[in-house]
Amino acid sequence: MRRMSRNWLGLLAAGAVMLGTAAAQAHPHVWITARSEVIYAPDGTITGVRHAWTFDDMFSTYALQGIEAKTKGAYTREELAPLAQTNVESLKEYAYFTFAKADGKKQKFTEPVDYFLEYNNTELTLHFTLPAKTPFKTRQLSLEVFDPAFFIDFKYADKDPAKLVGAPADCKLQFQRPNDGTASAQQLGEQNFLSGESSNFGAMFANKIVVECP
Amino acid sequence: MKQGSSVARSLAIAAVALAVFALADAAMHALSAQNPFGAPRRAAEPQVGGIIGWLLAKQGEFYREISASIRVAKTDGYAVWTLLGVSFAYGIFHAAGPGHGKAVISSYLVANRETARRGIALSFASALMQSLVAVVIVGIFAWLLNATAKTMCGAERVIEIVSYALIAAFGARLVWSKGGGFFRALQTHVPEPAIAGVPLRRHDHGHHHRDHHHDHGHDHHHDQGHGHQHGHAHAHVHDEHCGHSHGPKPSELAGPGGWRRGLSAIVTVGIRPCSGAILVLVFALAQGLFWAGIAATFVMGLGTAITVATIAILAVSARGVAQRLSAGRDGGGTLFMRGIEFAAAGLVLLFGLGLLFGYLAAERVTCL
Repeated sequence: MRRMSRNWLGLLAAGAVMLGTAAAQAHPHVWITARSEVIYAPDGTITGVRHAWTFDDMFSTYALQGIEAKTKGAYTREELAPLAQTNVESLKEYAYFTFAKADGKKQKFTEPVDYFLEYNNTELTLHFTLPAKTPFKTRQLSLEVFDPAFFIDFKYADKDPAKLVGAPADCKLQFQRPNDGTASAQQLGEQNFLSGESSNFGAMFANKIVVECP
Repeated sequence: MKQGSSVARSLAIAAVALAVFALADAAMHALSAQNPFGAPRRAAEPQVGGIIGWLLAKQGEFYREISASIRVAKTDGYAVWTLLGVSFAYGIFHAAGPGHGKAVISSYLVANRETARRGIALSFASALMQSLVAVVIVGIFAWLLNATAKTMCGAERVIEIVSYALIAAFGARLVWSKGGGFFRALQTHVPEPAIAGVPLRRHDHGHHHRDHHHDHGHDHHHDQGHGHQHGHAHAHVHDEHCGHSHGPKPSELAGPGGWRRGLSAIVTVGIRPCSGAILVLVFALAQGLFWAGIAATFVMGLGTAITVATIAILAVSARGVAQRLSAGRDGGGTLFMRGIEFAAAGLVLLFGLGLLFGYLAAERVTCL
């Protein structure tokens, strides 16, 4: 009897593993090439983050479905305004895929401003600025961009992936890609299926911008 | 004898662990993605790279090649062949991810003691339906109505919720029908020590045979042919619980008569289109090559079906191994197999509920 109950425990554990596995895996359907800027006020407080996300051409075409352009194949900023509006509104649900920490403390962003879409060479680029809910000063800023569900694969541009705008002269910018090992190793340690963060698979693919100001 | 049975049982457990992993969408993700119990296990494995990294990189490559070949096909008809080839490969790789019914189909096969052949048929039928649904959605929304991506994606989401509800309902029905067999096996297992004196062979045979009928049949007269004391004991249990078991016999299920039940599995899995297929279709439509997109979608579905069928076959064989190992044991063997069936049914239910209530958010369509 005791042996049997151990069997069932084993089965249960296996079941849990399976659910965890199912939750953990996903695959991207959208590829974004990103560039980001951290924006500083003259006194060195961080006021927000500015993103420029370029969608892959398949998704760009999909997003443009049903949108008319006066000149075929050349969409103006005005023609794309309603789509940009939809984009930033939809992004809210996903916290703009932007996760900031100041000295380890989570920072929030308010709704995007200055947003617009650009159509160039079959690809759409979404520009938007995320104002910090409360502008903050920090010794170490860590900014991660990724989709926890990994429906979207964020890849930062090869050239100038991240920039500081108006930062104090002694601030140092460091950029980590998900495949250079450092970021993902940290992420794996922090992850815990049982904590309810079941869908954090995408964290392995996080891009990390670290700014240190002594 | 005790010793031997314990070894065999351990083997059976190992086989079940294997089966469960085959059921899981892809066990390798468990290794590289995250440890469900939180302990870091970095030491032995590479990060993002490895098998997942490779799968994802391949997928990305194929995906880009799909869009590129559709563009080229506008001027060069031969590029359509490239498109079909790449779509097929993409389907195979892509189905290693979620949302293609591997978990549901495999669990269903294990719970219902289905054959591998039927698993293949179900995989192909559901993949075909997934492709059809994708074509119908894009055909109606993009081609006929010229709706925006927002509308289309909204529709996709509604279908997604419906499909999750269907999985949960499907699982609930499986649990309901498998629960009877499991608890009956559990009850018959308890008095086991009292009848240890019966010769093993005969005992086993009778047991197995009887159980088979008790599970599914509603008359126990057949058992009387065996005419020994257990027949009576089991008939008694059977009377108590027969109201709970409405599942058809395995033979019925495997035959053509079982198609109605198979159909519910096909619809449950097939109603939800693949987001990738929808993107490809809309893209092809925008390039004025909708027909090429449709062809690519069906070829992609073929690739998907192959992957799903492979996993389904794995699940069915693992179940077979577990059954062989636990057969010939005392009542625990039957109990064990009923337990596996019940667990597989429960998994479908949990899976559906998890998806429905957003716990497994990883599978959601993201509308931007």
